Amino acid sequence: MSADEHAPVLAADDIVAGYLAGIDVLRGCSVQVEPGELVGVIGPNGAGKSTLIKAVFGLLRVRSGTVRLLGEDVTGRSAHEQVRRGVGYVPQLENVFPALTVEENLRMGIYLRPKDYARRAAAMAELFPVLAARRRQKAGSMSGGERQMLAMARALMMEPRLLLLDEPSAGLSPVHQDLVFERVREINGAGVAVLMVEQNARRCLQICDRGYVLDQGRNAYSGTGAHLLRDEKVIELYLGTLARVR
Amino acid sequence: MRCPRILLPALALALVVLSAAPAAGQGEEVPAGRGFGARFLQALIDGVQFGVIIAITAVGLSLVFGTIHLINFAHGEFVTIGATFAFFLNASPAGPGWHLIPAAAAAVLFGALMGAAVDRGLWRPLRARGTGLINLFIVTIGLSLLLRHIVLVLYGTRPASFAQYDIQEAIDLGPVGITPRDLTVTLLSILVLLGVAALLQRTRIGTAVRAVSVNRDLAEASGIDVQRVVLVVWMFGGALAALGGVFFGLVEIITWDMGFKLLLLMFAGIILGGLGSAYGAMVGSLVIGIVAQVSTLWFPVDLQYAWALLVLIVVLLVRPQGILGRRERVG
Repeated sequence: MSADEHAPVLAADDIVAGYLAGIDVLRGCSVQVEPGELVGVIGPNGAGKSTLIKAVFGLLRVRSGTVRLLGEDVTGRSAHEQVRRGVGYVPQLENVFPALTVEENLRMGIYLRPKDYARRAAAMAELFPVLAARRRQKAGSMSGGERQMLAMARALMMEPRLLLLDEPSAGLSPVHQDLVFERVREINGAGVAVLMVEQNARRCLQICDRGYVLDQGRNAYSGTGAHLLRDEKVIELYLGTLARVR
Repeated sequence: MRCPRILLPALALALVVLSAAPAAGQGEEVPAGRGFGARFLQALIDGVQFGVIIAITAVGLSLVFGTIHLINFAHGEFVTIGATFAFFLNASPAGPGWHLIPAAAAAVLFGALMGAAVDRGLWRPLRARGTGLINLFIVTIGLSLLLRHIVLVLYGTRPASFAQYDIQEAIDLGPVGITPRDLTVTLLSILVLLGVAALLQRTRIGTAVRAVSVNRDLAEASGIDVQRVVLVVWMFGGALAALGGVFFGLVEIITWDMGFKLLLLMFAGIILGGLGSAYGAMVGSLVIGIVAQVSTLWFPVDLQYAWALLVLIVVLLVRPQGILGRRERVG
């Protein structure tokens, strides 16, 4: 089936996946992202949040269930094929090539369309001004916050319709976390649908249109970000009681 | 912890013990009766020549390790097959009797095809089945034995030379001398190594090879077809090994186990330079070649490989990650 412009950007249904034979981390998990939506996925450690993103992106084999991009079944397709279909991915850890320069990292981001490099690099310099001044610097010598910006820029080089972010604020100072969430908002505002997995559940739900709460590899709750932030059970179990007084 | 720091030097020590076999008679005999300076210069030139040939063969081995973390014990056989295939086309009574240059070009092409064949036919299916690295390493040993004995059956045990550029008179360059053949091989080898560096640094596929070496998943997530990059690395490594085999056969002699003997020095070169780094393999191989040749000024030629490998141990004790290797971050 070919791409349908009116279908959800991403529809993952009943996904079962895991790393070790016989042990499923995801046990029938579903998420949907509409065009232009910013969707957050939260949940406790080990709930399967990062596993969900890897399975959707093709870095981890889906044992059962389906992944559709704009209506097209892409279950089992490799990650580089997903990139070709308009999906960008920013891993939580090791999300830049440390031995390569900033420019080389960006070139790798648009490996499939090298002729568009100059145009896209200029767009990324506008979105992430810090990168423009550091084109020749090795990515490994940048700070955590700068690396996160570079990682996002690399994933945006191909002008994806859907951006998958795996804990973009992990390990960053509060100032850099704010910057990252601000950029995610801007990227989404430019029309890119975003599926973001986050440990910082409260901040995630504050900026998301919709959110999913995962627990033990299954959907526990879902709703708009504002709704989940006020839901007593979500507060009790996943946000902590401090969230109630804020 | 002290243990891991000791592991690489221990491996190097094992290589020294293994290298106790007689050396392949590399390089010009350093004539006695000349001044020490002249003899040292001559040994240095021979060392550079030997080092760049090891480097050409070692780059492919290092790139394969960098991209798929496989220690390919059969890489030496690619060298032997390159040399014997060129010999068949050039000087074998059963062959077509081609001139060495087209025969060498055909051997390089054959090496590339052989690299592609082993990746597509063997390593890719094994990787797809999730075979562990230790198991893959054992498979490379089996493949090495198989290929070496196929060469033994087809080529035989007699050493041989190519039909052209066999015996030449050295050009007198003041205190030192070098044959036009050796000078050409050295210059061509340096050019090839510069070409490899330019390819890795300046081309799209070269940057992709470096990206896959650094982080395979992130490369895949950037849209790079990692399997294709790995195939290119195997073809490239096979072609370079074959070329190195022709060069080594040209300046020395072709034997059925020449690649296996060189393998020890290739490993030494890439460990000394820094595992997985193509530039490290070049620098490490050059050091190994020079030390092996210069050591003959003071010590018996049969021990030349042992001295080169002792340098490996000393460098690793001081710098465990090798000359150009990056220190692993712990924690």
